[in-house]
Amino acid sequence: MSVIVRIPTPLRKLTQNKPEVEVNGNNIELLIDDLDANYPGIKERIYDESDNIRRFVNIYLNDEDIRFLEGKSTPVNDGDEVSIIPAIAGGILIF
Amino acid sequence: MKDSLLKLNIGILKQISDHAKSDFPEECCGIILSDGEQDFLRQCTNVQNQLHLEDPSTYPRDARTAYQIDPKELLEICKESEAKNRPIKAFYHSHPNHHAYFSEKDKADATVWDEPLYPDASYIVIPVCGDDSEVQILESMRVYTWDLNVGDYLESEIDSSNG
Ligand SMILES: [Zn+2]
Repeated sequence: MSVIVRIPTPLRKLTQNKPEVEVNGNNIELLIDDLDANYPGIKERIYDESDNIRRFVNIYLNDEDIRFLEGKSTPVNDGDEVSIIPAIAGGILIF
Repeated sequence: MKDSLLKLNIGILKQISDHAKSDFPEECCGIILSDGEQDFLRQCTNVQNQLHLEDPSTYPRDARTAYQIDPKELLEICKESEAKNRPIKAFYHSHPNHHAYFSEKDKADATVWDEPLYPDASYIVIPVCGDDSEVQILESMRVYTWDLNVGDYLESEIDSSNG
């Protein structure tokens, strides 16, 4: 299964500045493994210590947030596009 | 001493103020792209209420005290930014019934992986106050930009002198 993964600007130093890379795997978790095998360092940025996708990392399969699909186990097909999008977020001071 | 300037024209400043007022009492958010000559305002949806409803333990705050730009909109705007060569000039959000400052959370969320997510983009914060009868911008917005030498976000100045 060959899938295009869109890399966000902050992570492109790990992919030799490539905005998109092609990786193999039939679900999100395997894609991330393959991504990390080719571009070491990506996995630790996506996962927390318990191997869950970090709160501030959004992953989309085509137009769907994988949180609303099957998370890391979401299956992917040839020609799918996966996007990694770190959140732009914040909040006021709470006393 | 504020040592950097963010040029923004009056039209853009008015539009982001209006956005802050219309989303009050919730935080508004958006992105300004620029090709160097012209700025392009992209108002975004704050998805914080959705996040809070779906998962209140991970997201204890709702949109009155926090924001997250709709990631799908963010993705589209990033694609536009690259396809049309319009880098992200600034992100903006509002502080309902609070002053303009860069909070610990604002800073932490902008500095994940121990470095700034978008070191070349500034963060504009719009203070917006109000009650049932009236919503207003009571004081100036403030801008924070990553300073490479200091390794932190510092306040910069808005320059609207060119219109
Ligand atoms: Zn804020």
